[in-house]
Amino acid sequence: MPHMSDHSFSVSREQVADAYLKVIRLIDDRVTPFLGKVTTRVLVQGAARKVMSTYPFLHFLVKMPYTDVTPAFMHEQFSGVTPTELAAGLDALLQECFAGLKELTGDLIAPPIYDEVTRQLEQLQ
Amino acid sequence: MESSVQSEIKLAESAFRSSHAQNGDRLAAIRKEMEYLNTIGKSFVAAIDRFQVHRALLAALQELYSFAACSILLRGDPYELFINELFIIPCYPLSEAFFQAMVQRIASAARVMNIPIVSAEELAITSYLDAPDELSYAPEQHMVGATEIGACLNIPLTVEDRIVGMLSLFDERAGTFDTDLLKLTTMIADYAAVALENVRLRERETALWRQAESDRKRLELIISSMAEGLLITNEQGTITSLNYSAQHLLAQAEVDLKQDIPLRQLAPASNVYWLYKLAEIIDQALAGQTVMNQELIAGESGETIPLTLSISAAPLHDDSQAQVRPVGVVAVLNDITANKQIEKLKDEFVSVVSHELRTPLTAIKGYTQHLVRRIERRLRKVQQRQPEKSSTPAASELPELLDLRSLYIVQSQAEHLERLVNDLLDLSRVQLGNLRLQFESFPLVDILAACVRSAQTSAELHTISLDIQAMDTQIVADKNRISQIVGNILDNAVKYSPQGGQVTVRLEEREDDYFVSIVDEGIGINSEYLDHIFERFYRVRNIASRQYAGIGLGLYVTKAIIEGHGGQIWVSNNEGLGCTFSFTLPRTPRTS
Repeated sequence: MPHMSDHSFSVSREQVADAYLKVIRLIDDRVTPFLGKVTTRVLVQGAARKVMSTYPFLHFLVKMPYTDVTPAFMHEQFSGVTPTELAAGLDALLQECFAGLKELTGDLIAPPIYDEVTRQLEQLQ
Repeated sequence: MESSVQSEIKLAESAFRSSHAQNGDRLAAIRKEMEYLNTIGKSFVAAIDRFQVHRALLAALQELYSFAACSILLRGDPYELFINELFIIPCYPLSEAFFQAMVQRIASAARVMNIPIVSAEELAITSYLDAPDELSYAPEQHMVGATEIGACLNIPLTVEDRIVGMLSLFDERAGTFDTDLLKLTTMIADYAAVALENVRLRERETALWRQAESDRKRLELIISSMAEGLLITNEQGTITSLNYSAQHLLAQAEVDLKQDIPLRQLAPASNVYWLYKLAEIIDQALAGQTVMNQELIAGESGETIPLTLSISAAPLHDDSQAQVRPVGVVAVLNDITANKQIEKLKDEFVSVVSHELRTPLTAIKGYTQHLVRRIERRLRKVQQRQPEKSSTPAASELPELLDLRSLYIVQSQAEHLERLVNDLLDLSRVQLGNLRLQFESFPLVDILAACVRSAQTSAELHTISLDIQAMDTQIVADKNRISQIVGNILDNAVKYSPQGGQVTVRLEEREDDYFVSIVDEGIGINSEYLDHIFERFYRVRNIASRQYAGIGLGLYVTKAIIEGHGGQIWVSNNEGLGCTFSFTLPRTPRTS
């Protein structure tokens, strides 16, 4: 998966956060018909728990469903984090989400969604 | 040869038939799917326990796939101390290694689903194997050889946006599960989740019902075993429940008290006079008042000590309607006949002893008086002779003078003893209803003034004043008894203000009666004792009162005398120091 910060040192923290929020919503849209609307929310929470030791600024996603996060709140949580670090953290979160999805359904639905997410991230760069 | 038009028509007909056939196939597929969902929906709805849900689930999944086993992991809820439950439902016998691998995968997927899992090992220990009956009856079936999982599918079980658990499907072959059937599998999982939640709620409801039933039986047992009688009424005042003791205590009424008739209607229909009082107590409680320790004589009036009950009743309020009218009354009945017997014996004893004491006391007082007068006479003679014979000892050195002092002490103590005996005699009179009052007309102010003068002579540290705010103070009352009660309250005011201070006796005139208040600046009365101060033999128990003499009868007798006149007495603490005793006296006695 292309890491947003790899080629986009000029991208702002807000842009990074919004881009990843968009792809998480995309995952949710794709997963919901197969596994219900709660699954992605729980996948993100589980993924946040796994990466929070490396990326403590993502801790709030453990307690709070991502669907309840407003852009203003998210930007407040990410204040002081560099765009590169934020992109790395959100990328790790995304990887864990896909790992979780694979744990649940194997290769039934994860690969096409992964490809779609990769394409979208590339477009957003 | 067909024309181009004909061939076009044929082509169009063929396309129409093909399109029609496709739609028909699609409709048939939808119909089949709906029939399938309808069938499994019915089997889930019909399931009344979790094992029936498992059977329905297995049957539904086996319609879609051929697989080795499925499992249901249920997230522990607060009522079950958050302990998860795992049920493994095999389609055929599984190897131990396959089973272990399943548990590992379940634990791993549960972490993804945010279901707290301690470890796969612990999950394996607490798991249940719910094998279909046909597997149990076919032990000759060989165990599956595979030890590794080829395909696995985990689907969250959700109810109203809550993940209540997880459905997992396993097979030894790879590629068993496919994307096309995933939505249908999730639909089955949703059915199972709702059915399991219903089972959980039903189990919880049953457990709560059993607990409530057990509590009810326990309460029933406690109530029926109580030595005290317990009576419960509804909001109309009809007795709805009587425990064994209450039935026994109220048996003298010889009336069926549980007739579905309010007590106030039942009382006039019976000859039992005390039912009126019982109905009155219940009505008071129904009006929201808590009635404490009301005595009710339920025995025959001719008996020496009739059956006497003490009744306390309190309103029963519905939890949701605490502020409105009570939904009933709960009353506790105690048999206090034995206490009454003891009290009667005590009263008789006090009466006999005080009468017996009075006779020697009269003799002691009389002879002491006689001796005092004789010595006083002798001393006067000595004093008269002294100027003539200077060799005789001075009057102040005479042994008779010492005798006289001793006799004064005897006299004073005998008077004190007489007051105590009089109090005891008054007590007996009050108890036996023989407190006779001699009414006469006199100005109340005269008695108050005399009492103030008398109290002032023995109270050097105090200033006792009289404040009259009445024009006419003429009253018809028992002069001696009024003097006794005012003297008694003044004695207390002086006694309980050891540092001295002001004592004011105030007389005010009202429409039909006089209002007398005696205000002191003493130690006051602890508020918890205020309700008991007029009880017989009651003495305020505090460190300060230990130094004060008395047997706790004065105020009891005082109250009886005032009530004998038709008045009332009460006490209250002052804002600053001391307390105020107040009483009313009607201009003419209001005696019953």
